[in-house]
Amino acid sequence: MSALDRAVAVRAAARPSARRRLRDREWVWGYAMIAPLVLGLGVFYLWPVAQSVYYSFTEWTLFGDATWIGLDNYRQVLTDPANAKALRNTFLYGGLTLLGIPVSIAVAALLGTRGLKLVSFYRTLYFLPVVTMPAAVAMIWSWLYNGDYGLINYALSFAGIEGTSWIADPDTALYAVAVVGIWTQIGYNAVIFMAGLQSIPSHLYEAASIDGAGRVRQFFGITLPLLSPSVFFVSVLSVINGLQMFDLVYLLFRKGNPAREETQTVVSLFFSRAFEEGAKGYAAAMAVVLMLITLALTVFQFRMQKRWVHYA
Amino acid sequence: MRSGRLWPVHLVLAVGAAAMVMPFFWQVLTALKSFTEATRMPPVWIPSFEWSNFAEVFEAGPFLRQFGNTVVMTAGRTLAQLLFCSLAAYAFARLRFPGRNVIFIALLSVLMVPGQLFLIPQYQIVQSLGWLNTLPGLIVPGMFSAFGTFMMRQFFMTLPAEVEEAARLDGANPLRIFWSVMLPLARPGLLALGVLTVLWSWNDLMWPLIVNTDPEQMPLSAGLSALQGEHMTDYPVLMAGSLMASAPIIVVFVIMQKQLIQGIAFTGSK
Amino acid sequence: MTGKAWALVCAGALVAGLAGCSSSDGGSSDGKVTLTYAYWDKENQGAAMEKIAREFTRTHPNIEVKLQFTPNKEYWTKLQTAAAGGTAPDVFWMNGPRIGLYASQGALLPLSDRIARDKVDMTKFPKSLVDLYTLDGKQYGIPKDFDTIGLWYNKKLFDAAKVDYPDENWTWDDVRAAAKKLTDPAKGVYGIGAMAWPQELYYNTIFQAGGYVVSDDKKKSGFDDPATIEGLKFWKDLLDQKLSPTVQQMTDNDPIEMFKSGRLAMWYDGSYDAPQYFRTEGLDADVAPLPAGPKGRATVIHGLANVIYAKTRHPQEAWEFVKFLAGEQANRIQAETGAVIPAYEGLQETWVKSMPKFNLKAFIDQLPYARPYPVSKNTAAWSRPELDAMTKAFTEGQDVEAVAREFAATMNAALAQEK
Repeated sequence: MSALDRAVAVRAAARPSARRRLRDREWVWGYAMIAPLVLGLGVFYLWPVAQSVYYSFTEWTLFGDATWIGLDNYRQVLTDPANAKALRNTFLYGGLTLLGIPVSIAVAALLGTRGLKLVSFYRTLYFLPVVTMPAAVAMIWSWLYNGDYGLINYALSFAGIEGTSWIADPDTALYAVAVVGIWTQIGYNAVIFMAGLQSIPSHLYEAASIDGAGRVRQFFGITLPLLSPSVFFVSVLSVINGLQMFDLVYLLFRKGNPAREETQTVVSLFFSRAFEEGAKGYAAAMAVVLMLITLALTVFQFRMQKRWVHYA
Repeated sequence: MRSGRLWPVHLVLAVGAAAMVMPFFWQVLTALKSFTEATRMPPVWIPSFEWSNFAEVFEAGPFLRQFGNTVVMTAGRTLAQLLFCSLAAYAFARLRFPGRNVIFIALLSVLMVPGQLFLIPQYQIVQSLGWLNTLPGLIVPGMFSAFGTFMMRQFFMTLPAEVEEAARLDGANPLRIFWSVMLPLARPGLLALGVLTVLWSWNDLMWPLIVNTDPEQMPLSAGLSALQGEHMTDYPVLMAGSLMASAPIIVVFVIMQKQLIQGIAFTGSK
Repeated sequence: MTGKAWALVCAGALVAGLAGCSSSDGGSSDGKVTLTYAYWDKENQGAAMEKIAREFTRTHPNIEVKLQFTPNKEYWTKLQTAAAGGTAPDVFWMNGPRIGLYASQGALLPLSDRIARDKVDMTKFPKSLVDLYTLDGKQYGIPKDFDTIGLWYNKKLFDAAKVDYPDENWTWDDVRAAAKKLTDPAKGVYGIGAMAWPQELYYNTIFQAGGYVVSDDKKKSGFDDPATIEGLKFWKDLLDQKLSPTVQQMTDNDPIEMFKSGRLAMWYDGSYDAPQYFRTEGLDADVAPLPAGPKGRATVIHGLANVIYAKTRHPQEAWEFVKFLAGEQANRIQAETGAVIPAYEGLQETWVKSMPKFNLKAFIDQLPYARPYPVSKNTAAWSRPELDAMTKAFTEGQDVEAVAREFAATMNAALAQEK
C-alpha cells in the first residue's frame, strides 16, 4: 500500500476532534521545523548582509583591524576608474552571452521535433559543458585558445587566417571568454526552452497547419510569442549570471596576463580587493553598490517585459 | 511528420553536438600526449599514451586527498540541504504559525542579494569558529539554502491536501507526517534539489579559495587552480588533472540526467 | 557544528576512504609537536626541503615538520589570508618585497633576543641579506639562500647559427647582434625572451643603464628617470624587432618552457631555475654572466629568509627549526641538491659543483657588482600595479616611455602613503 493510499484510507475513519487538538499545537511544530534553517540562514546569510553594510563604512588594515571612515569607501568605489572598467566589462560580457539565446532556442526547437529519436543522447552532449567544473573548463579553453598550438588557430589556418593569442590579447580576450560562457550556457538554456515549448498546446499547431501555415511561419507566429516568458527568464538569468562572472575570469586571466585589465569583472575585482589585497571595507562597499545595480537592473527588466513578453 | 524527413534535423543537431563536444575530445587527446607532441604543429592526432601525465597530477598535489575533501563537502552540503530545506519547506507549505509569511519572505530575500554581500562576514564567522582550513569551514555555510526551501515548498504545495489531512486525523504529529507521508511523496523534488546541489557544490570555487588555503584541505576545484598556478603551461598535465577532477560529476549527470533536467526546468518555470 | 555531526562528517570521509580527520592543531597527546613549513618552489627545492625536514626530525624526535607547498602565484594571497585569519604556517619562506609589510604589521616573531641568547652567528650570512630582514633594529628572518641572474643560452641553437657563446665580455650590443642571428621565424625559434618580469629581466637592465627603481630614501619612483626608461627600452626594442615572442605568446606558453623546448636561444633567468634546466632532457644549455649595459655591469641579488609566524602555537619548537635551517647542515643539503645558492658562508663552492655541466660560477662571480632587489616598506602596494603597467608597456603598439612615466606617478602616490 503506498503512502497515498494509506493516507486516504486513514482519512475515511477520521474524527473532527482530533483535527482540532492538533491545530492548537501546530505553531510549536512549525517553529521547531523551520528552526535549523532559520538559524543557518540567519547566521550565515542574513546577519552577514547587515555586517557587510556596516563594514562598507570602515577601513581595514591588512591583517584585520577596522576603523570607521564614513562614506570614504563609497567615494573611492564610485570614482575608481578600475571599477568603471570592470562594470563595462561585466555588462559587455553579460550582453554577449545573450547572443547564445537564439542558438539555445534552435536547439530546443529541433530537439522538440515530433517523432525524433535519440533526443536524450543529443541532450546529454549539449548539456556536458553545463556540468563540467569551471576550473576544468578554463583549462580546456585556454589550451584551445593557445596562440601557437591551439586547435582554434589550427582550424583558422585552413581559412588562411592567422589567429592571435586569444586570451592574452587585450583586444580579443573578453570576446573569447564570452564564447566560453555561451558554450557553457547553451545546454542549460535549451532545457528551459524545451520545458517552455512543451507547455505550448499542440492544437494551436494543428489549427495553423489546417490554415496552411508552413513550419517557419508556425515558428514565428506561434512558438516564439508563446515562448517569450522563457526567453524573458533566460535573459534575466544571463544578465544576472553575467554580473556574477568570476570563475572563468579568475582562472584565465592571472597576474602578468596582458589582457587582465581588459577582462576584470566586478566580482573578480571584488575578490582581489577583499581577499588578495585585504581591503575588506572597500570591497564591502563594492558589494553594496553591486546589489543596488542588480536591483535596478531587475526592476528595469520587469518593466520592459510588459512590452514584449506574451503570457498566454 | 514522417521520419524520412527527419534527417536534416539529425544533421543539424549532430553537427552542433560535435561542436559542443570537440573541446572535451581535445582535452582527452592532449591528456594522452607528451609535452613535445602537444606542442607540435600540425597537431598530432594519435597520441603516444603518456600515462605519466596522470601520475604527474598526483605528484603535483594531494589529489586523492582533495578528491576525498570534495566528496565529503558535496555529500555534507547536499544531505544537510535536503533535510533542512524540506523540513522548513513543509512547515511553510502546510503548517500555520504566527509570522509564517513574514519569515518566509525574509528568507527569500537572501535570493535577491548578490553573494558578495555575504562573503566577508561569512569568512569572519568561519575564522572565529576556528574553522579555516577545515572541512566544516568548507561545508557548513553551504548547508542552508533559501533556493532549496523555495523549491521544496513549491513542490509540497502541489501535493494534494487530502494526503496528510488523513494522517493528521489519525493522530500523527506534523514531524511524523512529514517524515513518513510527505517525504516519500516528495522524492522527485528531493532528487532534483539533490542533483542541483551536488553539481553546485562539486564545482564551487570561490568559497574554497577563500577559506581553505592549505592544499590538504582544498577541494578539487581549488586544487586545479593551484595546479594551473604551478604547471602554468604544461598542458598535457593540466588536461589530465582537469579530466580526473570533472569526470565524476559528469558520470553523476549521465546517471541522474532526468532529475537534473527537472530541477532546471523548475527554476525556469517558477 | 556539534561533535556528533563532526563525527558524521568524518565517518563520511572514512567511507570515502580518503580524507583523514586530523585536527588542525599541531599538538597531540604524546608531547609530539607538528610544525607547518610553507614554501613555494617544489620543482627546484622540494627535494632539499624534504630532506632537511627529515634530518631535523631525526635530531629532534619530538618535532615533526609538515611541508606545505603553495605555487608562487598564490603563495602571498594565501599567506595573507591565513595570517589575517590567525592560521598561517608556523615557519615560512619570506622574500624582500614582503618583509617590510609583514614585520611592520606584527605578523612575524622578532628573533633578535633568541639569536643573542643562542649565539647564532649572523656574520656567516651576506650582510646585505641580513639587513634586508632587519626592521627598526630587529631581526625578523634568517637568510636561507641567495640568487643572482645570469644569461642562459641554448648551445645547440648557437652552434646551428654559428654564433660564439656569450662570455664575461659581452655587452648589450652583443645580445642584440646574436638575437638577430639566432631568430628563425620558420622554425619558431627566437633569439631571446623579453617577458615583462622584473627580477629576472628589466631590473637588471635598469641597473645596467644606470637607472633605479626606487630611490634610496624610498620616497621616489625611478620609472620616470631617463636611464631607467633606457633599461626598459632594451627589451622593448627586441620585442619590436620580433627577436622575441610577444608578451601574449609568452603568456600562453611560459618562456621557461619555451627555453627548455629550444624555442628561445637566450634567456635571462635566476640561479634558482638551474636545477630544472639541469633535469630537462635534450636541453644543451649553459649560463654566462649578464652582459654589460651602457653604465657597466649589474645583476639583481635577492635572497629568501625563514621567518616565524607571530601567532604560532609552538614558538619554541619553531625557533629550534629555524635555527636548524640557519645551520651548516641544512645549508649543505641545499647546496648539494643544487636547489639554490646557500646563504651560509663557505658553501657556495659546493653548490657550484652540484651541476658540473653548467658554469654556475657565473652567478657567484657577479657578486661584487650585484644590486639588492628594490623594496620599500609596502612593496606590494606598487609592485602589483607595476606588473600590470610593465606588461602593458611591453605589448605591441605601446609606448614604453609614456607607460613608465604614467606608472611613476602611481608609484610615487603609493610610496607617499608609507609611514
